[in-house]
Amino acid sequence: MSRWMAGLGLLALVPLAATSQQVTVSPQFVLASYREVASGLSYQGSGFGGALKARYHKLSAEAIVLRVSLDPQSGSTTTNGFKATEVDAWLDYDVADYASLEVGIIHRTADPEFNAQSLGAVRVGARSTYELGPGASVLFRANYLAAPKFSGGGSASFSLDLGLGLDVRLAGQLHGTAGYSFQRVNRKTNPGGTGEIDVPIQGTAARLGLGLAF
Amino acid sequence: MIRCRRIVAVLVGLAASVSPLGAAQTVPNATLRQAQQAYDNLEYRNVLSLARAALRERLSGPERARAYELLGFTYGAMDSILKAVDAFKQVVLIDPERQLDPNRVSPKAYSAFDVALRQVLLVRQLRLDSVSFIAGRGAAPIRFTVTQPARVVARAIGTAGGGSFVIDSGAWNGQVNLSWPARLSSGDPVPAGNYTVVVDARLGQNTFSASQPIRVIHGRVDTLPYLTSLPGYQYLPETEFPPQTWRPLGLAFLYTGAALIGTVGLESSSLGSGSKREIAVVGSAALITGFVMTLRKPAPRPAAANILYNRLLRDQLARRNQDIAKENIARRQQVQITVEPSLKPAAGAPR
Repeated sequence: MSRWMAGLGLLALVPLAATSQQVTVSPQFVLASYREVASGLSYQGSGFGGALKARYHKLSAEAIVLRVSLDPQSGSTTTNGFKATEVDAWLDYDVADYASLEVGIIHRTADPEFNAQSLGAVRVGARSTYELGPGASVLFRANYLAAPKFSGGGSASFSLDLGLGLDVRLAGQLHGTAGYSFQRVNRKTNPGGTGEIDVPIQGTAARLGLGLAF
Repeated sequence: MIRCRRIVAVLVGLAASVSPLGAAQTVPNATLRQAQQAYDNLEYRNVLSLARAALRERLSGPERARAYELLGFTYGAMDSILKAVDAFKQVVLIDPERQLDPNRVSPKAYSAFDVALRQVLLVRQLRLDSVSFIAGRGAAPIRFTVTQPARVVARAIGTAGGGSFVIDSGAWNGQVNLSWPARLSSGDPVPAGNYTVVVDARLGQNTFSASQPIRVIHGRVDTLPYLTSLPGYQYLPETEFPPQTWRPLGLAFLYTGAALIGTVGLESSSLGSGSKREIAVVGSAALITGFVMTLRKPAPRPAAANILYNRLLRDQLARRNQDIAKENIARRQQVQITVEPSLKPAAGAPR
């Protein structure tokens, strides 16, 4: 997945946001953990991000950009951390009051490049949103990550992304937002044609922020 | 002797009353006054010369009418009927309302006057009596006299932009009686206010117009007030607050549980158990929100039955008000109308 695809996904939000009935922008604090290959290669860290949400009738769109510094956990087999930059984008169409179908992209890069796998994939899935009360809603999403590409090569026939989200109107246009995402990617590689080996990737992220709705 | 005096007195009185010009001293023009005195003295040659001399002087309209009338009576007395007719034509052109009493003037003069009237196109004696009637059930009578067969149009013209309404039109001659219902083509009464009844007569190139100011007054109309509500029926609130339930907390549990179960279930065995702090933070926030929303008053939701009831009530009110509007239109159309002539006397002028 190239960078231009991620940019294209974000650009797709611009006309929707310009004509939307409601736009929410929120800077966010991020907690994240990341595991790759084996239990000994685990990272944990924090960072910042931003989210943009827009709705127009039955269409809604969401984009998230995260920048997280991940450091090896105690007992990890590596001592080198990395900075991960992730762009997620979704385009949803409501099929019921509380359910919508969605497509999107995920694009994650690591810096330094070889300290972790970069990932790009297309999202296809569904989302359920429910009103908890006046101005408060909770969502749950499940996405299949199709056609994943990795910087180190390999393939993944099974990749899932689960998400939990919360949006609470605190006062006027001020919203509190929270989001959780879990990714499981069954990456397999075949180094030197000796046969496929499992090199799974697993990551979680929690986002907390305050947003303004227009 | 006494009887002779009585006869002389009667003859003198009769002569004074028959005199077409009244007392000579009321005439301001000296020449005309002399002509009047000559006529009173039966000096007809002097009357003719003095009256013609007076007509060459600067006279007012009534004075000119008197001078011609004097000539008419004198020519009549001298059996010059054609000249008498010409003189009387000038009289009626100056004063179309001029009327001679057949019991007080000589038959010759009256006959000449009558012939003169028939030779000039005039609309005379335009009269409209005060009358009150219910609109649609009566009419204001209008009468006038046309001295020649002519195409006549009678109109009522509002004085303050009140519009112009044709009362009637036709080819008429002599006494004409019209009825004006004072209604518009829509059935509504003409607006109250001041109008001028104008009668235009046309015969070839000759036209004549007479007018009479009138006033149209409307009686009071008791219209029905529009309804804003139906007695005994009140609008119901179109939203209602659902009863408080544990549903928000349950939903928060459900969604958080789904995320937690998915996370645990999808964790790779080869990567070991991952960090749960992220799901703990967001899941806790969701559960707390669900709990708070459980305690809060629920958001109002539309009450479908009440909305339907209110719609029926509004429809019923609209129907009732439509009926009231029709009733009020009918009542306004049946207002009592009073038509009365204004103080300004009738006037006419050839054009």
